[in-house]
Amino acid sequence: MSKLNPIATEILWTRLVGIVDEAAATFVRASFSTLVREANDYAVVLTDRTGRNLAQSSQSIPSFIATLPETVRLFSREFGIESMRPGDVFITNDPWYGTGHLNDATIVAPIFVQDDIVGFAGVVSHLPDIGGRLRNPANRELFEEGLQIPPLRLLHAGEEDKVLIRMIRENVRVPDETMGDIWAMTSCVTSLGLRLVNMLNETEIDLDEFANDIIGRTEVAMRDAIRAAPDGTWAYEIENDGPAELKGGVVVIRATVTISGDIVSVDYEGSSDQVNLAINTVLNYTKAYSAYALKSLFAPWIPNNEGAFLPISITAPEGSILNPLRPAPVGARGMIGHLLPPAIFGALAEPLGERTQAAPGSPSNNIQITSLSGRKRYAINAFLGAGQGGGAGRDGASAVSFPSNLSNTPVEVLENQAPIEVQSRHILHGSGGSGRFRGGDGIGMTFKFRGESSAMASFMINRIKCPAPGLFGGGQGKPAKLEINGNAQIASGSHVLSNGDLVIIETGGGGGFGEVK
Amino acid sequence: MTLRIAIDVGGTFTDGVLLDDETGKIWLAKSLTTYVDPGNAIATVTRELLEQYGTAKDVSQVVHGTTLITNSLIERKGVKTALVTTTGMRDALDIRRELRYDTYDLGLTYPKPLVDREDRHEISARLGPDGSEWAAVSSDEVSAVAAKLHADKVGAVAVCFLHSPVSSRHEEEVRSILAEALPGVPVSISSEVSGSIGEYERMSTTVANAFVQPLVKTYLERLRSRFTEGGIDGRLDIMVSNGAFTTAVQAGEFPIRLLESGPAGGVLSAINCGMLQNADNILAFDMGGTTAKSCVAVNGRPEITHTFEFAREKRFKKGSGLPAQTPSIDLIEIGAGGGSIAKINPLGLLQVGPESAGSEPGPACYSLGGENPTVTDADLILGHLDPDGFLGGTMKLDGSKAMQALAKLGSSVGLDALETARGINEIVNENMAAAARTHIAEKGLDARRFTLIATGGAGPVHAVDVARRLRIRRVLCPIASGVGSCLGFLVAPTRADRAWSKVEAVENLDRETLAARVAAAKNEIVDEITATGAHANSINWNLCVEMRYLGQGANVEVVLNPAVTASKQELTEKFLEEYTSVFGRIVPGGIPEVVTWRVWGVSGETVRRFELGSTSRAHGEATRRSLYIPEKNAMEEVEVLQRASLPPGTKLRGPCIITEKESSLIVSHSADVQILDDGTIEVVLDEVAT
Repeated sequence: MSKLNPIATEILWTRLVGIVDEAAATFVRASFSTLVREANDYAVVLTDRTGRNLAQSSQSIPSFIATLPETVRLFSREFGIESMRPGDVFITNDPWYGTGHLNDATIVAPIFVQDDIVGFAGVVSHLPDIGGRLRNPANRELFEEGLQIPPLRLLHAGEEDKVLIRMIRENVRVPDETMGDIWAMTSCVTSLGLRLVNMLNETEIDLDEFANDIIGRTEVAMRDAIRAAPDGTWAYEIENDGPAELKGGVVVIRATVTISGDIVSVDYEGSSDQVNLAINTVLNYTKAYSAYALKSLFAPWIPNNEGAFLPISITAPEGSILNPLRPAPVGARGMIGHLLPPAIFGALAEPLGERTQAAPGSPSNNIQITSLSGRKRYAINAFLGAGQGGGAGRDGASAVSFPSNLSNTPVEVLENQAPIEVQSRHILHGSGGSGRFRGGDGIGMTFKFRGESSAMASFMINRIKCPAPGLFGGGQGKPAKLEINGNAQIASGSHVLSNGDLVIIETGGGGGFGEVK
Repeated sequence: MTLRIAIDVGGTFTDGVLLDDETGKIWLAKSLTTYVDPGNAIATVTRELLEQYGTAKDVSQVVHGTTLITNSLIERKGVKTALVTTTGMRDALDIRRELRYDTYDLGLTYPKPLVDREDRHEISARLGPDGSEWAAVSSDEVSAVAAKLHADKVGAVAVCFLHSPVSSRHEEEVRSILAEALPGVPVSISSEVSGSIGEYERMSTTVANAFVQPLVKTYLERLRSRFTEGGIDGRLDIMVSNGAFTTAVQAGEFPIRLLESGPAGGVLSAINCGMLQNADNILAFDMGGTTAKSCVAVNGRPEITHTFEFAREKRFKKGSGLPAQTPSIDLIEIGAGGGSIAKINPLGLLQVGPESAGSEPGPACYSLGGENPTVTDADLILGHLDPDGFLGGTMKLDGSKAMQALAKLGSSVGLDALETARGINEIVNENMAAAARTHIAEKGLDARRFTLIATGGAGPVHAVDVARRLRIRRVLCPIASGVGSCLGFLVAPTRADRAWSKVEAVENLDRETLAARVAAAKNEIVDEITATGAHANSINWNLCVEMRYLGQGANVEVVLNPAVTASKQELTEKFLEEYTSVFGRIVPGGIPEVVTWRVWGVSGETVRRFELGSTSRAHGEATRRSLYIPEKNAMEEVEVLQRASLPPGTKLRGPCIITEKESSLIVSHSADVQILDDGTIEVVLDEVAT
């Protein structure tokens, strides 16, 4: 007889999420880079033996939650599940099978009970460095973007792959930090596996049966929520800063959303073609942010797992900016991928009304600086949020990371790691769009470079040309700005910074929602 | 003869205990907390205690703890506070860390900072990350800010400059200018209040400290004079969140350190009870009306955390509140208490809490109009509560109302009333056990070696089953658990800490410099502890160092012998050992470094036997009542005994129930139950073959 019932499932589910969170907490403590411990640029996911997502760390990057199970399936196909042994740990940063750019490594370990694989423990994390040119929308080929790690074994039944490790170390700017994070990730998947095995031993539960139960419950709840919305098809277009070669210098994202009974589908036909700039968004990542938007709108309170994705289908034409072909450059894919939630919100504004939200000013703003300080190499990588769109029942939040979920790095930590003087980090009051619900305000940041050796810097600042639009007659947010020594830049890109250079960044305000009465 | 008094001001009750230090006899008193002037209830309780005992002459010490500071922060009842910070940084309080505390919720809101933007002032003084001066303090500029603060009638000032944990000189300089210009206005500086790197969290902590400081100062001064008026001229000491007490003067400077003083007292009291019974590993378990709390303590030391959050926008949602960095006893808290409501969630699962029915309408069985079944309703149906004996018989519980509510809820997922009640009980106990399991596992310990100590109104009701789920066999139920925090205050040691951060590779460490630094810290600690009346030779010394691999941000704590200076090799070995136990593997080629050294001295760390002062033994008749027995999945008649009627040495067999006014100890499993010589109840569960 099955042990599962509305009581046992509740208890086991809480415990399952708990063990993933514990593994994540251990990872953050063991990590070497500020990307993990300050910026939260990671996710930990547990899947069943077929790669179905069962649970993820509560504080997770929305995209990683959805891409990681795909990567697990890749490893299973590539190596064959029968070749896997206890102590094996797999790694890749392949953008098409991973998270959409080379900067994130995905590390996965099979979890064994006796001789059988019962599930997989996975972690994705943004590495401190991956070599190549700095992550930058101006890169034109994947080969400029750094070291490619195809699906490989990092540990062979517990034995380190010395060749691979040597390869990685020689190809990155900060090898100690990078390998330190990779070892922290390895500890994380190992310990997550142990915790799961302990739980299974103690509770004597069959993981497959339990997986079917929780995935089934989530799927039913998601379908119910979709069914409660009216049927129909709606489309919306959103524009963003793009390369000059595109018409008007803007990228167009066109989302056509169809609700039919308990199924919702999104098609991106009509979006711009792939470009020779690193803002192409692989299909995995396109799917991830689309699914994120739909879950947030329809059923934000459901514990997330594979079941939430089953009633959803996402398609994008091959060769488009949302489904580019190899070897398109992809490093700054967040600059486009982060626009998918506002595109979907816009399309569903008519049927869902007050539940939707205007566009944020924020798609992925980022600063990277690297050089030598004395004989020591530094490489910093910090994020800036912006104003969230107004709507969902309140004014948009100011200075927040959306739709991603990345923290800023404290000024004290930034100044410790790189020779910069942050003169100001402040709220840009009044930058959010007007509306019944105002858009949130963006962030201003001014810093002076104080290094004796000049440094390479890369800025990913979005919405310089295309501000965040409002919804239902709400005003648009103020556009973003990047200024170096008084010269306004027309686009993001890389720069050489010399002692005394002054950089001013302003991130965009969020769009307003509804007309002001 | 020496008397000591402990007073705990809680949200509902003000509790007091008077201790005769020589005999260990205690007298208890309780009164409703008086919010307008908390001193009224304190005076009432003190008077009652002294009347019971007879004299106020020999009271050498009053130890006090209170939740009032936590409440004034949550209710934002502080003074108008200003912030003085580095140019460009005043918005740090609004920008926070930019994180969303719930990934999928599009409509998140965040708590408002305690200081309005127009009350945040910036000055151009600036230090670099290594503490070097990039721009000096301009006294003209600071004086102009002081004049503005004066005109604004500011009641307190927080000062937080970038990099002050590395060098506090600018904060100190500015404080002295402000103090001179604004007599009577307290100034909190971040390097003293928090001292951790990361400007947002440190600023938030400093602002919160300043916000309540004038109120706390006045409160403590009035308390002092009230005690003096009452004929008590002993010292007034204050319990702090880390489980030690400090002088009233120190507490007035750093009120933020008092946030968890009440719960800290409760944990200390549980530890004391356990140590008396030779329990090295303790799980303190307390359950009240809305939450259950537990704390892991090993060798008498509770776990300490350095991050704390208050004024959460969503209860139990990490990240939705304002951070305060202050050492506190690490409480594992879950939103499940007697009033927690059970529901079937949209996934078709039974869920308990975090919503609570409160006292009105309360659980269905209160018959006050509540229709939702709660943990209390489930407890009633399972026989854990006596319908006629609740709160000492002052409130009748209606079993049929509880049945109805449970049956209605369960019917939608095919459960009957008893199954639903059983499910609620299981979920609450298992969630609590799961949280504790994690904390115990993180320390690399074996739960089976623990003793669980139960306090709080609902603690003894759930304790034995929580223990069983953790495979803990021994449960203790101390006397006077209704005033447990006060007993904790009376066993709290006095403690002084010194810490310094100096990041360097173990390889480069100079043993002589280190020895000199430790010696200097010890001298300061001796001064501070002897100021509380303790003898220097009573101090127990502790030394630890936080270490990591070069490049990491989080540290592991390595405990060292305080009497000798460790060699480089010892440090490295101990670090690798500790690192492996926490993370499972070492980092190949990693370079170990030391980060922060901590020395602390503790005096008066005692284990204390208490005995009730009034020893009249009640003659309660044993009765019988129907109790749910999990092993048999059925209700069964068991014996119900009055705790007050059981003399030490009494031996019983579970299943059974032992009741007292504040609570009932429920033993639903086969177990040996014994009343120990100090009145503590001990339950030892039978070994179950697994």
